[in-house]
Amino acid sequence: MTGMTEIQMFILAILPIYVAAFILYTFRALRGPSISDMVLAIDAMSYDLAAFLVILAIYFKQPILIPVAIALALWIYSLDIYVSKYLEGKELGE
Amino acid sequence: MTLLDIVLIVIGEIMIGIGALADLIAAIGMNRFPNFYLRLHAATIGTIWGAFLPLVGAAFVAAGCKCLGEYRWFMAGGALITAFIILILGPAGSHALARGTHRSGIVPVEPKVVDHLEEDESMPTSQETREIGEEEGGSP
Repeated sequence: MTGMTEIQMFILAILPIYVAAFILYTFRALRGPSISDMVLAIDAMSYDLAAFLVILAIYFKQPILIPVAIALALWIYSLDIYVSKYLEGKELGE
Repeated sequence: MTLLDIVLIVIGEIMIGIGALADLIAAIGMNRFPNFYLRLHAATIGTIWGAFLPLVGAAFVAAGCKCLGEYRWFMAGGALITAFIILILGPAGSHALARGTHRSGIVPVEPKVVDHLEEDESMPTSQETREIGEEEGGSP
């Protein structure tokens, strides 16, 4: 098969929108006024990154990227739970 | 390529496109909202519309595209499982983070119209009220 398929061309057209969204999420994650804003931005960005990885797996035709997305989603949930337990334990200070 | 494959691929591409647009909208809202509790709204849009929907669309595309080889059902199933995990764990994580933030009080609720949760937390519970009443009644 020569050249790209239609699916690959479609994904290549979609990719800049995802990259722009990731850059905007990174702005909020870097300059968030509080810990919660940073964690929330990283949270949303990483769930989108899991979807992005699956789309990249279709683009590159590499099935090995799928378990990476599952592990990423589970670890980001654990980040949420750890941070919220730490905040509720009144040990953060100012 | 049968008709069913073409239908699956077109539906999946539409879902991936909607997911990309919702992702961009959520990222803009994450930068424009003035408050942490309002940014939760943008985060929910980015989680459900921006991650769950394109994952289901990617599962459809992987199921309909024979160009992916013999691993396409593995890719479709893995994408569906990731979508289900995100559908369950995304709102749960956001809720836990909002609860911890509001209870610890590190983010002030402003601009604020009314905050019933803060009033409920500042009021003593019914058991504490009963204990206070017993102490006042017991002392002459």
